[in-house]
Amino acid sequence: MPDTPFVDRSDTWCVIGAGAHGLPAVKAFLEQGLPVQGYEREDDVGGNWNAQGRSSRVYGSTHLISSKPFTAYPDFPMPDDYPDYPHHSLVLAYFRRYADHFGLREHVAFGTEVEACEPVDAHDHWDVTVRDRSGARTRTRFAGVVVANGHNWNPKRPEYLGLDTFAGEVIHSADYKGPEILRGRRVLVVGAGNTGCDLAVEAAQNAESTVHSTRRGYYYNPKYVNGRPSDQVADTLLLLRLPLPVRRALFGLTQKLVVGDYASLGLRRPDHRFFETHPIVNSLLVYYVGQGDILPKPDVERFDATGAVFTDGTRSDVDLVVFCTGYLVRFDFLDAHAHLNWRDTHPHLYLHVFTPRHDTLFVSGLIQPDSGQWCLAHWQGQLIAAYARARRDRPDLAGRFRDRVAAHADERFTGGTTYAESTRHYFEVAHQDYLRELERAINLLEVGAPVGSR
Amino acid sequence: MSRVRAMRPFDWALPSRPVHREVLSVLPGAESSRPPLLFVHGMGHGAWCYAEHWLPAAAGRGYPAHAVSLRGHGGSGGHTRLRRTLLRDYVHDVLQIAISLPRPPVLIGHSMGAVVVRLVLERYPAPAGVLVAPAPLHSGLRTLAMIARERPSHALRAVAGASLPMTADALFEGLDPGSARRLESRFGPESPLVQYDVALLPRRAGRVRAPMLVVATPDDRYVSLADVHRTASDLGVQPVLFPGMGHDLMLDAGQDRVLDAILDWVDVTLDPGR
Repeated sequence: MPDTPFVDRSDTWCVIGAGAHGLPAVKAFLEQGLPVQGYEREDDVGGNWNAQGRSSRVYGSTHLISSKPFTAYPDFPMPDDYPDYPHHSLVLAYFRRYADHFGLREHVAFGTEVEACEPVDAHDHWDVTVRDRSGARTRTRFAGVVVANGHNWNPKRPEYLGLDTFAGEVIHSADYKGPEILRGRRVLVVGAGNTGCDLAVEAAQNAESTVHSTRRGYYYNPKYVNGRPSDQVADTLLLLRLPLPVRRALFGLTQKLVVGDYASLGLRRPDHRFFETHPIVNSLLVYYVGQGDILPKPDVERFDATGAVFTDGTRSDVDLVVFCTGYLVRFDFLDAHAHLNWRDTHPHLYLHVFTPRHDTLFVSGLIQPDSGQWCLAHWQGQLIAAYARARRDRPDLAGRFRDRVAAHADERFTGGTTYAESTRHYFEVAHQDYLRELERAINLLEVGAPVGSR
Repeated sequence: MSRVRAMRPFDWALPSRPVHREVLSVLPGAESSRPPLLFVHGMGHGAWCYAEHWLPAAAGRGYPAHAVSLRGHGGSGGHTRLRRTLLRDYVHDVLQIAISLPRPPVLIGHSMGAVVVRLVLERYPAPAGVLVAPAPLHSGLRTLAMIARERPSHALRAVAGASLPMTADALFEGLDPGSARRLESRFGPESPLVQYDVALLPRRAGRVRAPMLVVATPDDRYVSLADVHRTASDLGVQPVLFPGMGHDLMLDAGQDRVLDAILDWVDVTLDPGR
């Protein structure tokens, strides 16, 4: 694009996306006294939580499934009058207030989509090409780039034998906005992530009949245990520094008391141990299974014109299939294979943020914690900006940090567990384990504290 | 150098309970470009102690001025649970009010409120912080010993789990007896857990980015001057001292000079070009 206007702002850092991870990154650069420019394709902050946005994947009933304390930014707690598990509209209001309170909006160009992001040879600079509302393109040279465009928007659509012959409707949960589409229909929900379980429950409440197909038996955690949000109970066990086997045993006991034996409810028993899959938080799924409103099934083997056949040989007639099969990581504006240390199926980044291939390219938000997320978003932003500052002011510390990036790009922060479905859990992190490493890395850069070995 | 602290496991596992909070505010007459001020009181006090003089005076100088009553104090809720209230509940109260303001406020804390402000500043990017006659963050043993020497019965009561008495003769140096008596009747109880925490628990200070000011009086009978100097030197600043005044710098005679010194510093710190 030779006729694209070019601007050199190579003293300024670029943040792509003004959602849950982009906003704290912008804020962190400002706090370090570093100039920053954010870009956001939509006209508002919030990313996935901006329900009007094109890449938003929230549906009418989406609520948080982790409670406020760890979910919120540590320097901007959710207000006391918010419920434990706020609705997505409250979450968007929260992000708007965060942006306004800290004066972040003036540092973000809204309605501006990033089209390309390329390294400049022989420098650590990046050329970022954006298109604004009018369609006009600009290429700008930046000191570096934080990629915070989210990873839960690009639907993963599974392939099944006979799916092309199925005469009913097939959607992905990405396109699900509310229960209207379910009414009066025989619905098959595929997948037992948190969305799959939410939609199975919505189908139970709205559809004529509901079949829920899952790969395996899972643990369905209630939202409350003994009147307290269950993630706070889990964090209490971590606070007591109980080792993993003890926490597992206590969780097993809690499951027995609160949920009961899965088999007696007609569900498959989990074939793995607690913490080995991403936690599902849903109090209602088991309830509707017990009422007969949800018929649990194993994996789909194939589809025919009017229904699905499952791996146990049974068959159900359905009119609507909702694939809740998750999302695939995608960077349209960046050669992720070249720049993000992509091997096999995913990037290999230190702390899921720092690529060994580049010194000034960062990814924020490529994590799936077993608890709330935005506390981690805050500290990812703080670490990135601390590194940017150290590159300028403390090259010795930045150098030590770079060594760490190169040596630890494959390190995982699992809290000692081994995940059962590896491909689904590339970005899974045990929240406290992961945050402890973020804290160490920040203190290495901020005060030169030795990191030691884990 | 102080470390950044990201791990706050108590806050995640056992978060502070929501509570009603009293906020007293005086706003400047005209729209102001100045940041808001948020005042935090000390033991047994309430937002009212700032409403006497400092809130209207600060608003008169163009600052939107707010004071919060911590839970169990003044017009806030939580009085019945005061004896089980922790220092981090107060941190939560101040953070909740700070984020409800249109932009980050300058935080000004007095005595125990200065410890609360210091802890808030470790996690919240306020533009500046002011510690007024600050109770020590590092350890209050020296201050406790000073009180024990001067008023042994007061110290004994606090050690036994009762509230440290707030008495006019120890708090004020230059106030007429009528005003002193009127103010004395307004002081309330303090959480024993917070008293123990401030007096006994040594805390390692975390990193604070905000520019800081320490103001105090050498004639303080609640906080030892040695502890004030230690607090200031931990922050890398010199305390500004107002001799001849008592611990309650916002109420005692001469309080107007103290506020002017604070606001002059805020003016210059946040807008050096003025």
